[in-house]
Amino acid sequence: MTGLSLDGVSKVYGGAGVTDGPDSGTVALEDVDITVRDGEFFTLVGPSGCGKTTTLRAIAGFEAPTEGAVRFDGREMTGVPPEERDVGVVFQSYALFPHMTVAENVGYGLRFRDPPDGATADDRVAELLDLVDLEGMGDRDPEQLSGGQQQRVALARALAPAPDLLLLDEPMSALDAQLRESLRRQVKRIQSELGITTVYVTHDQAEALAISDRVAVMNGGRVEQIGRPQEIYREPATRFVAEFVGDNNVFDAAVRSRDGEYGRAEVGGETFTVPVVDGSDRVTFCVRPGGLARSADRNRLTVRVETSEFLGETVRVNGRWNDRRIVLRLDEVPDGDELTVGFEPDDAHVVDPR
Amino acid sequence: MRAAGLRRRSTAVRRWLEHHALSLTAIATAGVLAVMLYLPVGVVFVNAAFDDGVATLAFFREVLTDPFYVGVLADLFAEPLAVRAHLESLLGWLAAVSVSISLEYPIPGVPLPIPWPSLETPGIRTGLFGFTAYQAALSTVASVALGLPAAYILAKYEFRGRRTLRSLTILPFVLPGIMVAVGFYAMFGRTGTLNQLLGIAGLGPYPFIEWNPLAIVIVAHAFYNAPLVARVTVAAWESVDVRTVETARSLGASPRRAFRDVVVPQLLPAVLTGALLTFIFTFMTFPIVLALGGLQLATVEVWIYDRVRRLAYSEAATLAVLETVLSLGLTYAYLRYESAQSGLARGATSPSRTPLFPDLRTALSPRRVAIVGYGILTLVVFVGPMASLVVGGVTDGSGFTTRHYAFLLERQLEGADYQTLPLVAIRNSLLFGLATLVVAVPMGIVVSVVTVRADRGGAIVDTLAMLPLAVSGVVFGIGLLQGLVFGIPLPGGWRIQVTGAVAIVAAHAVAAYPFVTRNISPLLANLDPAMVESARALGASRYRALRDVELPLVASGIVAGAAFAFAISIGEFSSTVILASGGDTYTMPVAVERYLGRRSGPAIAMGTVLLVITAASFVVVDRVGGRFEG
Repeated sequence: MTGLSLDGVSKVYGGAGVTDGPDSGTVALEDVDITVRDGEFFTLVGPSGCGKTTTLRAIAGFEAPTEGAVRFDGREMTGVPPEERDVGVVFQSYALFPHMTVAENVGYGLRFRDPPDGATADDRVAELLDLVDLEGMGDRDPEQLSGGQQQRVALARALAPAPDLLLLDEPMSALDAQLRESLRRQVKRIQSELGITTVYVTHDQAEALAISDRVAVMNGGRVEQIGRPQEIYREPATRFVAEFVGDNNVFDAAVRSRDGEYGRAEVGGETFTVPVVDGSDRVTFCVRPGGLARSADRNRLTVRVETSEFLGETVRVNGRWNDRRIVLRLDEVPDGDELTVGFEPDDAHVVDPR
Repeated sequence: MRAAGLRRRSTAVRRWLEHHALSLTAIATAGVLAVMLYLPVGVVFVNAAFDDGVATLAFFREVLTDPFYVGVLADLFAEPLAVRAHLESLLGWLAAVSVSISLEYPIPGVPLPIPWPSLETPGIRTGLFGFTAYQAALSTVASVALGLPAAYILAKYEFRGRRTLRSLTILPFVLPGIMVAVGFYAMFGRTGTLNQLLGIAGLGPYPFIEWNPLAIVIVAHAFYNAPLVARVTVAAWESVDVRTVETARSLGASPRRAFRDVVVPQLLPAVLTGALLTFIFTFMTFPIVLALGGLQLATVEVWIYDRVRRLAYSEAATLAVLETVLSLGLTYAYLRYESAQSGLARGATSPSRTPLFPDLRTALSPRRVAIVGYGILTLVVFVGPMASLVVGGVTDGSGFTTRHYAFLLERQLEGADYQTLPLVAIRNSLLFGLATLVVAVPMGIVVSVVTVRADRGGAIVDTLAMLPLAVSGVVFGIGLLQGLVFGIPLPGGWRIQVTGAVAIVAAHAVAAYPFVTRNISPLLANLDPAMVESARALGASRYRALRDVELPLVASGIVAGAAFAFAISIGEFSSTVILASGGDTYTMPVAVERYLGRRSGPAIAMGTVLLVITAASFVVVDRVGGRFEG
């Protein structure tokens, strides 16, 4: 199996191919460093245009980095065409070959690479169709299948030649929510059964947290943070990560006094006790909606309720405090226009520490 | 051991070939284009700009200051700085223009006065270029006028044979110009079908063509280009999202207003595209004018041909350069315009069609009656000449005869070697057609592949590769004749020389491959690029991905493009007539023109043979159901 690393990878379109200066083109990737461990399920997540797909395409060999290198197990892949990289790719559009049957699609890669363990191509195709629960569907045409089935054919096709790496580019985004969740579990099950190193691209942060061993959050062509889903959620490194991953309330405050790890910080005329970092008189901290509780008696703020969304287990309340948007999680739809909540200093997490 | 080593090496060679197949074909295509397209065009430019190896503008000055060529503009070119004198003459001319309205009685015998505006302009000398543009403009107006109603009917009404009719609008593209000209001859000539019909009523015969050759030429141009206008307009009409019209209606627009505000702006680009293409095509018209008008109606193209026949190569080359510059400018405008328009209205819901004749009562409504009238008109314009061709082959002024075909047979059996033999022409046409196919299809595919996926570089390649559309056959023919046929000396005593059949096939392939590209590119552009990438990731080289995935999926475009290439080769006249002079490499269209010189009967019979063969290749196009949104 294979580990993967991107070392200082930049991608610039047009211009003189440099990332800054007067002759810079459009920067798609800027100095991306990523290491994916052998057998890991690694996800690139970010808004559209953040560079996640470009990163995946650089790994697959469809895009050549302007600077830096992609390495498989330490082997530099610069100049190696896609067909010689031993990667399996699944695209959002599935890209099934419409003029071939399901079996021919799955078997296409076996025209160029022998099936593993000395199996025949037919056996390998049957094995893969079995793996994705499509046994007996080999003779169908792709367009006779549902979206979810087509997705599984695409997965089987990518896996058939036993690639070193599996690359998935938003493979679920064309499917409806329920199907997406069940397919997600199936992909995860197959991945851990095969133990194949996998890079998954999605714009859906909830999906990224649910499925991955580790996640890289990208924005504007840069990696904002790499970490396990819990780390990304609980300890966002930057303001962007804090706001992108899950609901969050981010405050920019001026530090008025310090007392060890904590200090008094002022936002819009109110002062809160929060963790602070040394050497700066500003602090940016975030509090998850769940951290803002009616029962907490420290750091109180009174929120004007604007809308409530009933989500089943909980209610998401969108409100305003001091002209800032505030998101709360409550058990019940609140009655009345105002609501006072508070948070414990330890529920505040400092982002962008300078 | 040795065998294994050898095998390994041969697999390595195969792998290398496979990896580079695409680039090798691309290099070959570039080579063919360089030698067979750019070199000849360059030779024409050199001929026009050099006199005995010395660069000179004398030829251009001669042409540009000769009122015979450029009319009133000659003074302007002669003394470009005498602005005052030019302005004064322009003002004097404008002052002499008068507009008057008079009462006229346009219908003989009916005392119905109609106010008739008339524009009086003092005579203006247009010159050869001016006349060429004038007849192209008239032809464009006629083509749009004849084509738009067809687009309306095809887009708005459902009737039996609508789809067939829609695909028939491609027919003129594959009809050889010389054959259409002969068809018009067979219809309007002294012994033509029209005179025969009038003869039944005791009228005529009338010399229609001699009366007003320009009108006949313009109708023949409309025959060619009105279907083109109809075709692009219908395509645009069908891609109008019916929901945009419904939105306008729901916002308070009447049907007429919604049509004007929503539909017309979406049709206009297509109509302009059709008009611009028509203007380009008719500006470079050759066989139709040559056959129907002759030198008295000479366009630039016909005059160039005449100069070549009189061996006045420098003058021909100068005219050719000027014509090419003009048509290149127009083609560039067209390509720019087309690319600005593409990408509109995708995934639209097309409007529904109403039945054309749902019942008897609506069938008599004014609109339906107008449609029937238009139908009869198109029948006369489009079916008339072709039917006349077939009929004219077996009749003369006095009834049924087989003597035209007998003439062909006799000529074949007893003709001398220097004479034009029908079977040789047919054989040449078919062989050249097949050879053109073999050369033009890979060229067209490669150009498609290179241009469809690439962005900025692709646009440049696209423009360069579409040059054949802008360079007329005659210009190209001279370039080939003077460059490759006469031979170009190279340093070291070598010579590039391409002659006879090879030169003709090269000319045909260069003229035909843009149509292959035009047929394949839209299909290729619609393919999901992720399919190729999937194939690559699965281990396929770029060439294998093309062979296994893209080409099978655009097969209909390839076959249609191939049929086009074949039909264009079969019908090509302009460069063939130059390259085939004096040899035995003449083709069917050239034979038609040669027979036309004496009596029209044998030419009409030969034209019928050409019609049958061209129709066969159209059947292939239609069966494959390819796309022709060129």
